[in-house]
Parts: sequence; C-alpha cells; structure tokens
Amino acid sequence: MLMMPFLNLQLGDRIVTLMAALVLVLQIAMVTQRWIVLHIRIFAAQSLFLAMIAATIAWFNHAPHLYIAAALTFVVKVILVPILFERLVKRMKIYEQIEPIVNVPISVAIAGGLTLVGYVVAASFYRPDEPGLGHNALAVAISLFLIGFFNMINRRKALTQVLALLSLENGLFLAAISLTYGMPLIVELGIFFDVLVAAMVLGILVYRIRETFESIDVSRLRRLRG
Amino acid sequence: MTERIMTGLIENAAQLFLLLALAPLVTGVIRTLKARLQTRRGPGIIQPYRDLRKLFRKGMVIPETASWIFAATPWVVFFSTLLAGLMIPMVAAEAPLGLFGGVLAVIYLLGLGRFFLALSGLDSGSSFGGLGSSREMTISALAEPAMMLAIFTVAIGAGSTGLTEIAGAAIGQNWRFLAPAQMFAFAALALVLIAETGRIPVDNPDTHLELTMIHEAMILEYSGPYLALIEWAASIKQLVLMTLLINCFWPIGLQPTWFGCGALQGIGWLLAKLLLLSCAIVLLETVNAKMRLFRVPELLAVAFTLGSLALVSTFLF
Repeated sequence: MLMMPFLNLQLGDRIVTLMAALVLVLQIAMVTQRWIVLHIRIFAAQSLFLAMIAATIAWFNHAPHLYIAAALTFVVKVILVPILFERLVKRMKIYEQIEPIVNVPISVAIAGGLTLVGYVVAASFYRPDEPGLGHNALAVAISLFLIGFFNMINRRKALTQVLALLSLENGLFLAAISLTYGMPLIVELGIFFDVLVAAMVLGILVYRIRETFESIDVSRLRRLRG
Repeated sequence: MTERIMTGLIENAAQLFLLLALAPLVTGVIRTLKARLQTRRGPGIIQPYRDLRKLFRKGMVIPETASWIFAATPWVVFFSTLLAGLMIPMVAAEAPLGLFGGVLAVIYLLGLGRFFLALSGLDSGSSFGGLGSSREMTISALAEPAMMLAIFTVAIGAGSTGLTEIAGAAIGQNWRFLAPAQMFAFAALALVLIAETGRIPVDNPDTHLELTMIHEAMILEYSGPYLALIEWAASIKQLVLMTLLINCFWPIGLQPTWFGCGALQGIGWLLAKLLLLSCAIVLLETVNAKMRLFRVPELLAVAFTLGSLALVSTFLF
C-alpha cells in the first residue's frame, strides 16, 4: 500500500510527459501550417492538451485549485478564443495562404533547433532523484516559448502573429503549472482574463489594420495614415 | 550443430513464405478498404495475386536502348527486398537472418533496390523514367536522414542496432511507447513509411497521370514478368516497412522464437497489427489529397525534426 502513491505519481508523470510532447508537436505543426483556420484549430487542440495536463497535475498532486485553471484554459483557449478568431477570419474573408518569411522546411529545422535549446536549458534544472510530474514539461515550456517568438517574427499577417503570441502564452502557463504546481488562484484568474482581453483587443486591432490598410500584412505598416 | 542449421532453415523458409504470400494481400486489403471507404466496391482483396499471375504469363517488351541494367533491376530489387525482409523480426523476436546485419543493413538493402530502380528509370531513355528517378531520389534523400534518426533513437534504447535486440528490448517494457522519445520516433518513422511506400500525401499509387507519378514513372517501361517482379517487390517492401514500424514500437504478441504453439499466435497478432496499421493508412489516404511535389520536402522536414527531437530527448532525459 505504501507503494501506491509513488506508482500513481509515476503514472501521472508518464501521462504529463506524453501530453507535453504532444503539445510540442502541435507547436511545430503550427510552424508548418499554411491555412489560417487550421492554424486556429491547432492552437485550440494545443490548449486542450494543456488543460488536460493541468487537470492531470491537479489529480495526482491533490491541488484542487488547478482544476479551475484547467477549466478556465478549456473555456477561454479551447472555446472562446478560437470561435472569436474564426469569426474574425470569416468576417475579414482572409482565405489566402500564410506566407512565412523563411520557407517552411528551414522554419521547421529552426523550430527543431530551438527545441534543442529548450531541452539543453531545462536539463540544468532536471533532478532525476526527485519524483515529480512531467520531467520534460519545463523543456517543452521553454521550447514553446522560443518557437512562439520565432513564429511571431516569421509571420507577416497580424492575425497569425496574435496566434503565435497566444501559443507563447501557453508555454508560460505550462512552465508555471509544471514548476510550481499552480500559482495562487487569483494570479491565474488575472492571467486568463488578460488573455481573453488581449485576444479581443488584438482581434479588434487586426480588424482596424485591415480596414485602414486593406491588408493585415504588417510589413505594410510603414507609413502613418491620417 | 546440424540441428541449429535445420531450425535456421525452417525459420528462413517460414518467414520467406510469409513475406511472399502476405505482401500482395496487404496491398489488396489496403486497396479494398480504401474503395469501401470511398463507397466503391473495389476489386477484392486477392486482386494483387491475380494481377501477378496475369503479368507472369505475359510476354515482355524491352526498349531497344536499354542496357543490362534494365534486365538486372527487377531481380536486384526483388531479392534485395526479400533479403531485407528476412532480417526483420516478424513473428518471432529473433529475425532469421538477424546475424548478418541489423537495421542499417535493412535500410541499405532497401536503398540498393531503390538505386537500381532509379538507374533503370534512366536507362530506358524515356523522359518520364528520368523524371521519376529524379523525384524518387529527391524524396529518398530527404526521407533517409529522418528514418536514420528515428531508428537510432530506438537503437539507443535497446543498446544495439540489431533488430533482434531492439525487438527484445521492446518486449520487456510495456509502457515504453508512452515516452516522448518513442513517440517522436514513431511519428517520424510513420511519415517516412508514407514517403517510402509511395502513399497518398506524397505519391499516388493508383495514378495514371504521368506528370504526377513518382514510383510509377520509373517503371513505366516495364511489362510482363519483370513488372510483376517489381510490383511484388514493392508490396514486399511495404510489408517490411510496416512490420518494422509495428514490431519496433508495438511489440505486443511478438513471440520469443518461431517454434511451439506460439508461432500461430504470433502470426495472428502480426495480422491483427498489420490490419490496424492498414486501416490507419487508408484513413490517412482518404482524408488527404496528394501534396504538390514541392511541398513534400516540408513533410519530410517535419519527419526529420521529429526524428532529431526523439534523439535529443533520449539523451537529455
């Protein structure tokens, strides 16, 4: 019976490790994606896995307030933000392909390199003797962060940059829940509200950019318009 | 000593028979399932056998410009693929010819076959043949590094590049496939499998339009028994790669040896796993459209990145 909690922790560790890996795969899939609607759906799937990670950590670590974080992630990032963005896409009729600045194979290779950096950085925080949940979660979080930054630089369209920013925020959330097993609830509530507001404001901003410049290509934002 | 040679011979014969007999069946099952999913009736799962029989009875046309390579290629392709097939664990963890080489030998035997196919595509002097060869080589040059990285990940886990050891190590640990390294390697190898067997996002196996062909363009000039040999080799190659994938990552039901009542059970498990993988391939082929050729490097870049991630995450954690 004494072994049971440890076994449980091991199982939880496996589940979290696996889901963190899936989150990373989806982040790399975002780098390769050319269609904006699919891009939004990949983001939703990534957030879903993130919510599942939060719920798993809550279950195995007996941290009930993380359930609220998981539920909020689900509601905000899996349902609200994707719906908001898909409606924006429909309203602005952006159906052309995303054109990255660096071509896709090289982007993917760079994303792979950034993941490597993430793993190397996280390796110095790794304590194999301490039983914890998801020992690759920090590495994945740092990689999400770096790839999200790269994706923001690599895209011309404002909406895809917003999506990259949100996936970067996913990385922050993963780092927070895997390192501290959840920040105080009030902080997390603040962050979620922040994300929702940011998504809405950025959505409106994208729409205004489109209205003014007849394109959401940010490389055209060079001249002031009255 | 003679007893060991005898058992070795029996193992070889059994696996040889299994490879030869099962490969067209797998192709047939995939075609039929795909037809059913697209609400067509399909030709039935034994159609590839009928095709082979018909082709073996027919005469051949050999281009005037062709050299000895044209005649040698079907044999080289067929036997190198068979040899590779004997080096992988199918029913038992111990591969019959496992002593002669590990997974690298398998990859390069398949590479030898591909090299000769590309040569023969150029040899006939038709422009489509050359086009097919150049495309095939482009794709395989990109697929091979990804495949190697994925295979090395598995090999590091097992501590050996011998497939017997890899399968043995895989049997030992039940939940190993949940490790991220294994999952990345599996995904990379699955993408490579699609590229190498000419499945839909990369190549269309049923195409009749020369401009979109890759594998078919190389063998356009072949007819009769030679074409039969090449087609048979292609389906054996598909079976070999599928078996490699399922037995390295999902060794459930793999028997320790070929002997005893376990063999039948092992064959049953193999068939079940192959059927499952075929269903996955059929689904993938049905929901995807063929990629433009210039998009294929993107897919393979993803495979390569996944393979390198797999390798990195085995070393760091």
